[in-house]
Amino acid sequence: MTQVKAWAGYLLPKLGQFLFVVVATYTLVFVLVHFLPGDPLIAALAAKGGASTVIDPAELDALRVQYGLDGTLWQQYFGHLIAAAQGDLGVSISTGVPVTEMIARAFPFSVQIASLALLFGVTSAVLITFLAYAAPWPWLRQLLLQIPPFGIAVPAFLSGLLLISVFAFALGWLPSAGARSFDAAILPAITLALPVGALFFQVFSSAVLEAQNSPYVFTAVAKGVPPRRIFTKHLLRNAMLPSITILGLLIGYLAGGTAVVETVFSRDGIGRMTVNAVLARDINVIQGVVLVVGAIYALVNLLVDVAYGFIDPRTRIGGGVPSRARLGAKK
Amino acid sequence: MTNLRKPGFVLGLIIIALAIVASLAPQLLATHDPFESVATDRLLPPSAQYLFGTDNLGRDLYSRVIYGAALSLLSASLAVVVGVVVGAVVGLISGFVGGRTDFIIMRFVDVLIAVPGVLLALIVVASLGFGPVSLALGVGLGAAGSFARVMRSQVLRIRSEEYVEAARTLGVRSPAILVQHVLPNAARPVIAMAALEMGTAILSVSALTFLGFGAPPPAPEWGALVAAGRDYVATNPGLSIIPGAVILVVVLAVNRVARSIGGDE
Repeated sequence: MTQVKAWAGYLLPKLGQFLFVVVATYTLVFVLVHFLPGDPLIAALAAKGGASTVIDPAELDALRVQYGLDGTLWQQYFGHLIAAAQGDLGVSISTGVPVTEMIARAFPFSVQIASLALLFGVTSAVLITFLAYAAPWPWLRQLLLQIPPFGIAVPAFLSGLLLISVFAFALGWLPSAGARSFDAAILPAITLALPVGALFFQVFSSAVLEAQNSPYVFTAVAKGVPPRRIFTKHLLRNAMLPSITILGLLIGYLAGGTAVVETVFSRDGIGRMTVNAVLARDINVIQGVVLVVGAIYALVNLLVDVAYGFIDPRTRIGGGVPSRARLGAKK
Repeated sequence: MTNLRKPGFVLGLIIIALAIVASLAPQLLATHDPFESVATDRLLPPSAQYLFGTDNLGRDLYSRVIYGAALSLLSASLAVVVGVVVGAVVGLISGFVGGRTDFIIMRFVDVLIAVPGVLLALIVVASLGFGPVSLALGVGLGAAGSFARVMRSQVLRIRSEEYVEAARTLGVRSPAILVQHVLPNAARPVIAMAALEMGTAILSVSALTFLGFGAPPPAPEWGALVAAGRDYVATNPGLSIIPGAVILVVVLAVNRVARSIGGDE
């Protein structure tokens, strides 16, 4: 019973936080769209039909109703919020297709490369950290530790185009574009994995290095425990908490990164859809995407919090200890 | 300055100096007119005459990269300035006033941080229209949340320092304390972070110009150069890869110098 109570006391505030972030994201986007200068509908129509498009005022009013851009700001704010809660994100101004449908169609393609990228990135970060930890020479260690900062500085379009020109055109191993086969997902996933892996590495390796200087590792070394065992038994376990925390942040990175990567590889997906929506000034689609991405981000953070409660009971029993490192925001 | 003895730091400084010269006085470094096309010299490989080769219209790629520095680096700098100023003001007010105001402001900052920076920039660009200035505003707004957080934590730390208490006891007014004591002492970590943000801003701005949200075509923005060369990646990969590599080198240089300024090593 006390267990249940402790969990409820731990999870309910987190759930509230989740709902708050989703609603606040919606609010932020709404404020930006409606308070920045310019009429979103007129901008979208001009992008569709050229700058000199002339629209009859009566027709414009009809279009406003059609795209849900009529009524007072309060009516729009609450109307769209209620509709969004029921899964209706409005209609795309440029294509006329419901936004929910567009997102549902593009989503699997992005999830495919994003999850592959996460897998590649995390695996190579752990591998590099282990190699650096086990490296017999200091220079090798230094060299290995230099790779990730490099990964952060490489623009995704550069690494993507390099991969295309080497593996698709020069060697002919993998396709350069499209989303039809699994092969086509490999190069985009590697491109996306570079910054994600580098970001993960920063947190993971510093946690490992910190654990490395702890008394229990000193004891293990003194006892003659082999390095590989120390790495898996002591270092990996203690680096788990900060590593899980950064997962939420990585999701945000992945969501932003798909825009460039999917454009470079001419792949369907959320990112390319968003880019096309911005080119068409299609505000309904952009709002929908940001809301969905914000919700996923908040959901992952909620799951991270739950995982925390499992992995480290202290966070749970202590009663709402929000002490998990905030990790310097967007760095 | 012990930093000046480190070769990486010095190399970084030289690259940054070159980039600044290219932005302010491109004619000093360029070898050709960046807009002049020579019909007979299309898609040439790098040579002594055309250092980076020529593009599909026979324009000198090297000179286009040099002339592109101004737009690319200025919008990245503007983005950092927007991020620092907005973030610092919000963080300063939030931390100094405290209480309920602080709580409400910080919840909005949480959301600003929760929305991925690229998406935030895309919303701003879609609403304001394309171009270097709206790009910079979008990227800057995306960074403002982190700056607000750092600034606030600095203010909270300084607010309880003895010299602030002393000033208060002596009857100095709050705005004066803010300007004379809190701001100068909080500035250092914020400046270090701004230096690091510069590299990120160059990457974000060039990604957004790559996607086509920057200045209209003949303008030689770095990201736009990569995008224009993309159609020839099968036959002339250098056309997009060289400008991309220039971005990489500048970002590496900026990050290297920024880390030293921040005293990270």
